[in-house]
Amino acid sequence: MHLKKIYCDIKKCLGCGSCEIACAVEHSKVKELNNAISESPLPIKRRKAEFIEEGVSISTGCHHCENAACVTACMSGAMYKDKKTDLTQCDKDKCVGCWMCIMTCPFGALTRLREEKIVLKCDLCPDRDKPACVEACPTRALSLGTFKEFKKLCNM
Amino acid sequence: MQYVIIGSSAAGISAIEAIRTKDESSKITIISDEKNPLYSRCLISYLLAGTIDEKKIWYRPASFFKDNKVEALLGIRADKINAVEKEITLNNKEKLKFDRLLIATGASPKLENISGIDKKGVFPLRTIDHTIEIQSMLDKVKSVAVLGGGLIGLRAAYALKNRGKDVGVFVKSGSILSQIIDKDAASLMQKRIEEKGIRIFTGVAAKEIIGAKSVNGVILDNGSKHDCELVIIGKGVSPNIEIAKDAGIKTNWGILANEHLRTNVEDIFTAGDVAETNDIALEESSMNAIWPAACEQGRIAGLNMTGESEAYEGSLAMNSIEFFGLPVISVGITKPKSDKYKEIIKKDTSKNIYKKVVLKDGVIVGVIFVNSIENIGIIGALIKNKADVSRVKDIILEDYFDYGKIAPLIKESKRGFREPEFKETIMTL
Repeated sequence: MHLKKIYCDIKKCLGCGSCEIACAVEHSKVKELNNAISESPLPIKRRKAEFIEEGVSISTGCHHCENAACVTACMSGAMYKDKKTDLTQCDKDKCVGCWMCIMTCPFGALTRLREEKIVLKCDLCPDRDKPACVEACPTRALSLGTFKEFKKLCNM
Repeated sequence: MQYVIIGSSAAGISAIEAIRTKDESSKITIISDEKNPLYSRCLISYLLAGTIDEKKIWYRPASFFKDNKVEALLGIRADKINAVEKEITLNNKEKLKFDRLLIATGASPKLENISGIDKKGVFPLRTIDHTIEIQSMLDKVKSVAVLGGGLIGLRAAYALKNRGKDVGVFVKSGSILSQIIDKDAASLMQKRIEEKGIRIFTGVAAKEIIGAKSVNGVILDNGSKHDCELVIIGKGVSPNIEIAKDAGIKTNWGILANEHLRTNVEDIFTAGDVAETNDIALEESSMNAIWPAACEQGRIAGLNMTGESEAYEGSLAMNSIEFFGLPVISVGITKPKSDKYKEIIKKDTSKNIYKKVVLKDGVIVGVIFVNSIENIGIIGALIKNKADVSRVKDIILEDYFDYGKIAPLIKESKRGFREPEFKETIMTL
């Protein structure tokens, strides 16, 4: 697997939510926190810092699954695997808001825009070298790379 | 190698894509009785509603067959399969040999056995042609009778209401969507649909469709008459198994598929609405005629046709529907019929929220979420992987119940959660 994606080292994750804020800001119009918070509608995160148990957290989002349930379930052809990068992407012009991806994603990684009837998901920040969440993570729990690189990083 | 696929909707298309990941050059022939099959069947009611434009309905590009080097026999029906000679007879009398065959003939709408069903203005809603025909007569239609309160009936009702028609839905059973959700969820949905002006009559069935040549009304079993110029039949579907049955392929409700989506004949596979597979929640052979199952089965059947040995984990009933901004998703067994099952329910009627999980022996086998649907896929993963949820069952319906909460269950699970992404995410836990 050469797919490069975001991994979270649970041992380092504080659940601080820096990744969530950075994600929302990166997907805002102005891409800058002080002004992004006054945008309407408010920018929306595609990443979540989730509490596992006392003192243990995970930052999670789309895992760009090899055999992605959302792509299989998508009835409009909006959700697709990028042939070059293997990333799971959503073509919002094709999305009709049927929520089949929400129904099938085992990670709860999709966000529903009720009014616009489309879903939002991690796009790995196409305008940046490193995704915003990875850069914002204060403990370097988040990293971008292949699974092999992640394992090495965690000494596993 | 000559691959032949009968049927060109979700399962057939997925099978082509899967075959081409393993075998770039062998000949693939697909047979479809529809002239333009590359549309999404689930989207035809959206098209009828006018909420999407026509180009969105084509879920694969027009060049799909060419791009995948597929010979497409369109507007042609397969009449007969000779399983011994490995030969198919088409309705134009031509014959076609195959090495591996996929039967993905889908299902057809069940038509009511009531008089007047052949009158002008009576339609099922299954194909794009139905949609186009209905659309072409809408100018002359003021009032519509929808027979059936299931998924298709209600989608049709929603679509036609959106087109400014007066719509009455006649539902034989006591509540709408009775195959998919329980009464509590149904009553929330019904309330919303009725608030928006669609009239729903439960416990009432049509007895006769009347009119000279064209429909002008429906006589109901309570004796009253409902005036209308259009009747939509939404009574579910039945699988198109005849061609397989005639060929000596084993059928029950559908064509019986083993875990590799093979029929009882070595080189003949089946997938989609026509296939009968093991149901994960029911733990027995069942029909789940739904888009995601058809795509997944098509993919796996396609791979196995090339010689792979990919196992299908089984099907699971699941549906996602939204009416007038109120969504409902259900998965698995939602209306348990014995006391072996336990239910956990959370309601907030003021917010139109209803959540229910159904458990059996400490494992979730079904779920319904109304209006607060975001994390339902996580519950779906617990169902699929038969995870022991005893330690999280008190928080399972809370809004904060997310992937983080199931991470320890995944770590402890010995059998389930085989997809690599689960392992990757919890490796450091």
